[in-house]
Amino acid sequence: MEVFKIVNEHTRKPLGNPALEALHLKRTVILSGHTLLLTKDGREMPVDDSVAPIRDVSGRMAGTVIVFRDITEKRNAERTSARLASIVENSEDAIIAKDLHGIVTNWNKAAERIFGYTAEEITGKSVRVLIPEDRQAEEDQLLKALGRGERLEKLETVRRTKDGREIDVLSSSSPIKDAEGNVIGASTIAHDISREKTMEAELTMAHAELEEYARKLEETVAERTAHLQATIAELEGVSYSLSHDMRAPLRTVQSFSQIVLVEAGDKLGATEKNLLEKIISAAARLDRLIQDVLTYSRVSREKIELKTLDVEKLIKQIVDERPDLQMPKAEVDIQGPLPTVRGHEAYLSQCITNLLDNAVKFVPRDRHPEVCVRSEVHNGHVKLWFEDNGIGIPQESQQRIFGLFERLHAQTDYPGTGIGLTIVRKAVERMGGKIGVESEPDHGSRFWLQLKKGEKK
Amino acid sequence: MSGINILHVEDREEDVFLLKYAFKRAQINNPVNVASDGQMAIDYLAGNGQFSDRRQFPLPCLVLLDLQLPHVIGLDVLAWIRKQPEWKRLVVIVLSSSIHDNDIIRAYELGVNGFLVKPSDANNLADMCTALKQYWLTHNRFAPDCTPGLKAV
Repeated sequence: MEVFKIVNEHTRKPLGNPALEALHLKRTVILSGHTLLLTKDGREMPVDDSVAPIRDVSGRMAGTVIVFRDITEKRNAERTSARLASIVENSEDAIIAKDLHGIVTNWNKAAERIFGYTAEEITGKSVRVLIPEDRQAEEDQLLKALGRGERLEKLETVRRTKDGREIDVLSSSSPIKDAEGNVIGASTIAHDISREKTMEAELTMAHAELEEYARKLEETVAERTAHLQATIAELEGVSYSLSHDMRAPLRTVQSFSQIVLVEAGDKLGATEKNLLEKIISAAARLDRLIQDVLTYSRVSREKIELKTLDVEKLIKQIVDERPDLQMPKAEVDIQGPLPTVRGHEAYLSQCITNLLDNAVKFVPRDRHPEVCVRSEVHNGHVKLWFEDNGIGIPQESQQRIFGLFERLHAQTDYPGTGIGLTIVRKAVERMGGKIGVESEPDHGSRFWLQLKKGEKK
Repeated sequence: MSGINILHVEDREEDVFLLKYAFKRAQINNPVNVASDGQMAIDYLAGNGQFSDRRQFPLPCLVLLDLQLPHVIGLDVLAWIRKQPEWKRLVVIVLSSSIHDNDIIRAYELGVNGFLVKPSDANNLADMCTALKQYWLTHNRFAPDCTPGLKAV
């Protein structure tokens, strides 16, 4: 009867009964060490086995003793160890073991790749060859700390390779202890962070460049702003001297002609008087033009603050101050109550004055000027309409009339500077509003200006 | 009050002529002296050099001041006047072609008594002078030290 069954663990071939061999050789037999014992319940158990003959008192072979030792645990330990060795060997990070004097005892492939030394070259030598001169103190401190059983994690430092390059590494070290718990060395895992460091440095540089660029940009903006402000100040100076230097000689022309007309009028003929009158009216017109240009340039530049304005009151005031807008010359019908608007009083006043003046001006001589002022409210905006019974504006000219110096009529028919509506458009824009017109020739014009509705007081 | 002396500070001869003509039409017969720039106006009031002769250059009770002047501008003349203790009560009226808000604001801040804009039209200037006569030379009361005789010499 077969008591046990054993096979070679590699070939799976059944092995002969070791007892027979021992009996045959008449001595102790130790088997190969690759023996698997198949147990009764079907498990396979690695075993060490030996067979020794038993002799009787006369020295005759009486039998054999077979000893099987279960080596499952030993096998597992060996496998674990091999696996760990493989992990260490194939790690991406350098794994180095050293004794308490810093002498290298183990050195994996990654260490060779990162530092350039082969295991043969460096084993038995001090790890200090990897440390730059100015960092040698690090190793002293590290060894002391390890001696006390401490771990050192994630030390960011610099190491030197075999070919003399300095590289950035992130290194963690922990003590190695013997069975009794005495520290006998240390293991170090070093991660090469040169690439990260390079990228970080590049990023820092890019950031610095960006900051420098932003600074330069700010400088340029500041410079240009200063330049622009200087230009504006210069322009203001020009407009300032315009008002003085251009108007002064005009005043002389106009006033002196008037004086000649008064003092020597009776000595002049009708033609001469007429010429003097033409000089006077031309000078007056030019003066009006200069004042309008000044108003336009002021409206374009000035800083203004918007307030809630009682537009109805404002219109009534304007009409009260201007005989040309009152009966019997004209009729202005205000369809109140008009809502309040957001605007600048002087600017809105200028707009309304210009629009009303135009409304009564561009009317055929034989027609009595009538103007209707009314309002619409849409989405927080107020549209003020100024509707007249005048000559109207052809479709194709309706945008042109808001341009600087644009005039549709001869000076003799309807005098003007061609700036009035330009001032209105600019003033409305400065108050954040819009302006427009609807008209047909001889059916009157309907000018509108739109502003934000005023806040309730 | 024909004893009130007027100092007209104006650099343009034409404007001096026009004001003189308008005064005539408005029947203002007060003595008018002219300073043709800002520094001269200051020298006149301070009595520097030739102006120390107060028979020829009597002290004014009313100054009509142009703003755009060579050397020392009108606003600086005004500032100087208000810094002198003896000129704090002097009536100073700007007569300028400036319609700049900043000039008007600054002039009032410096203590001007009125701000008139030169009309381009001779008739309007005559009207303005008539009003000036009515207000400043007829109804207005000057400080007592402007009474004729006290300051003339």
